[in-house]
Amino acid sequence: MGILEATRVQKNYGNKFNKQEVLRGVDLSIEAGEFVGIMGSSGSGKTTLLNVLSSIDYASSGTILIQNNEITNMKEKQLAEFRKNHLGFVFQEYNLLDTLTVKENILLPLSIKKVPKKEANQKFEEVANQLGIFDIQNKYPSEISGGQKQRTSAARAFIHEPSIIFADEPTGALDSKSASDLLNKLSSLNQNRKATIVMVTHDPAAASYCSRVIFIKDGQIYTQLNKGQQERQAFFKDIMATQGVLSGVQNEH
Amino acid sequence: MNINSLILRNLKKNLRNYYLYVFALIFSSGLYFAFVTLQYDKSMDPVEGSVKGSAGIGTASILLIAIVAVFLLYANMIFIKQRSKEIGLFQLIGMTKNRVFGLLSAENAILYFGSLVIGVALGFIGSKLLIMILFKITGVEGIASLSFSPRALLQTFIFFLCVYVLILLMNLFFIKRQTILSLFRVKSQTEMTARKLSVFQVIIGILGIAFIATGYILSGKLFDGDFSTMVELFGGMIFILFSVILGTYLFYKGSVAFLVSLIRKQKGGYLNIKQVLSLSSIMFRMKSNAALLTIITTVSALAIGLLSLSYITYYSAESTAYNYTGGKDFYLLTEKDAEAFRQVLDEADIAYKENKAEVYTTMLDIEDILQTALEMNFDASMMETVFISEDAAGIEVAPDELKLTGYNEMLQRFMSLKGEGDVTVHGKDSEVALHYTGLQDEYPVSNYYTMGGLPTMVVDETVFEQLKQDLDPEIAQEYTLYFGYEIEGKDQLEKANELFKQLDLEAADFSDSRIDVAEDQKSSIGLVLFIVGFLGLTFLVTSGCILYFKQMDEAESEKANYTILRKLGFTTTDLRRGIQRKQLFNFGIPLVIGLFHSYFAVQSGWFLFGTSMLTPMIIVMVIYTILYSIFGILSVIHYNKVIKNSL
Repeated sequence: MGILEATRVQKNYGNKFNKQEVLRGVDLSIEAGEFVGIMGSSGSGKTTLLNVLSSIDYASSGTILIQNNEITNMKEKQLAEFRKNHLGFVFQEYNLLDTLTVKENILLPLSIKKVPKKEANQKFEEVANQLGIFDIQNKYPSEISGGQKQRTSAARAFIHEPSIIFADEPTGALDSKSASDLLNKLSSLNQNRKATIVMVTHDPAAASYCSRVIFIKDGQIYTQLNKGQQERQAFFKDIMATQGVLSGVQNEH
Repeated sequence: MNINSLILRNLKKNLRNYYLYVFALIFSSGLYFAFVTLQYDKSMDPVEGSVKGSAGIGTASILLIAIVAVFLLYANMIFIKQRSKEIGLFQLIGMTKNRVFGLLSAENAILYFGSLVIGVALGFIGSKLLIMILFKITGVEGIASLSFSPRALLQTFIFFLCVYVLILLMNLFFIKRQTILSLFRVKSQTEMTARKLSVFQVIIGILGIAFIATGYILSGKLFDGDFSTMVELFGGMIFILFSVILGTYLFYKGSVAFLVSLIRKQKGGYLNIKQVLSLSSIMFRMKSNAALLTIITTVSALAIGLLSLSYITYYSAESTAYNYTGGKDFYLLTEKDAEAFRQVLDEADIAYKENKAEVYTTMLDIEDILQTALEMNFDASMMETVFISEDAAGIEVAPDELKLTGYNEMLQRFMSLKGEGDVTVHGKDSEVALHYTGLQDEYPVSNYYTMGGLPTMVVDETVFEQLKQDLDPEIAQEYTLYFGYEIEGKDQLEKANELFKQLDLEAADFSDSRIDVAEDQKSSIGLVLFIVGFLGLTFLVTSGCILYFKQMDEAESEKANYTILRKLGFTTTDLRRGIQRKQLFNFGIPLVIGLFHSYFAVQSGWFLFGTSMLTPMIIVMVIYTILYSIFGILSVIHYNKVIKNSL
């Protein structure tokens, strides 16, 4: 039994006369401790999938279980409760509150859970050191670089030790140096903390840090690749090859 | 879709978003029209005539114009900024700037003149209500019959047309100046960039509080005798005003951020949701709105202060009249008049108590008991003062003792006396040394003798006889008797008053009834109260609206934050609580500071206006706070909507 089990997840937009199917029955199983990448061209539904899996958006049909909790028929309040205990998020746009300092931003998830202050400080120190942002804890987001912002955002996602961390194009707004820096940190957190990470990306290089990559096309799982024992470079080439097959406009004939 | 339907659609959308703006437009045009209608109405003549009212109303209408114009322009500035994206989009699809301007103008015209028509209609109905209120508080007997005044309509129309043109110019300027790119960007440029508190800001913060405190402390001392010349007094007032207003500005600029950062430091980075939403946002936003908030606070304080003072006067009318008449229902000054009054009372079978006193004037030397005095042209060793005997005053006095009574609060401030000391009473030829033992509150004789609050001497019977024998005819008054009448059944008072009015008295100018004195005072202050109340209400509504619009703006720019917080697992209830806290600060801080300002202002000089401060001031403040809170509540409702839609 995986940490996340999704069966026949569908998502439609629009009304019954003008229906647009974004997800057409996705089956997915993620084991604890995995670092899964979701790839696909724009419009393939990868971000929608992430939103639905992470309870931010409702699925039209199908079931999603996270640690045996069915989130597909939870009420708004239960969902919020569930998110604060089980999920962590990292987004492309950092999503930091710019009126809070780095430390205050990172401690937010703990403040929801009303963790004692001492324990919170300890956890903060730990995660901030791992991500190399301890020194900038009293700065405001407007005073730090994009890479630092994204690491802050990652620290916020990791600090309360959630069951799964969802990352939506975390490297999208970063330069290549900061991007690889962040990905290294993410994969080391994945290994050291046994954190499960699901990351949406369209960048093959970013995806090559994952242990498994799932390809989405037109709202369905097209194929998936396992890294296994191979080197990152080799895995990168595999991903490139698959993406080559995947991309492009469907041939009518 | 042609341009007309575009205008209509925009309008529909805007009505939903800006219902408060439309309300404010209707309200201000209605208020203005009502006011101008009153100004031109014939039924107002008795009121206006009573206290040079037309000048007062004229001044008020100019103030009203200023408030309404500034408000409308400001509101428009907020809205055009909010719509910058839309304007950019129109230009992107190929509309010329002039075309966009035309579109906006047409839309504004419909919104604006539509509201104006509704406002005028409501204002006409409202003016009838207003004039009824006015008659009620001034005590003028009249029937509120209003005729529609074309002149008032024209004036309202011209005024709002001018404001409309100004708004158009403002829009034109805004559109002309912008490039497509910057129009798209305006909204994403938040008003603030969060940075660490600099030392400079800390200094500003401390200075702000210090300035306000200085102003407050000085205001308490203003009439305590520390400022002894008129020039000093005036300088003191200017200094207080300057220090408080500057202090308020610095307070918003730095102190709020400074205080909040102290709290945050204490938390060590561990903030709960309420603090996240309230403290952190206030810390940065108050700073960027410092000027606006200062204006709102200052004018609020002014409005509350003026309302309090005029209400104090109104409220004190009864007790002022009580002191004026020597604490009796009626007073007369000659034996003949008294006899006539007694006769009519007996005839009408009205029970009464009579209080007769002989009142003479002599010279009193108070040099030794004078504590402080404003430097004015008077000689403390030769004060013209009236004296009465202990029996007449109902106050017991020893043979070598002197008591003073009925010393006006206001005069006491300018010339305060010690608790006791030696004084000398000068007759024409002789003099008597007495020991002054204190001041009493009662006013035993009428205003004719006390001259609006100068103290009355109370002496022992023997001393009284002695002084009476040695009067200086040069300073003697025309009348030397006081007859006070108290009607025993209060239900008979009205009837007695009617009879009193019909009397043909020889000292008619110096005899009066308490009811008439109180009514006179009420009718003269009533119009002032009415005008001040009117302006206060206008200001309240406009400043409330401005704060609300600001909050609407803020909600929009903070929407992304709510999304983040909800993704992190905060429920909408959590966020709502945080927002409630935030709005408590956002609306509460300017209000509380305004209340404090007005409290200290009123407290320093209220005695010039009436006899009791606390009750009328608290009534004014409570009403103001309740009305003002409505806008805070509306903004919370708006935030709830934004939060709900944020995920």
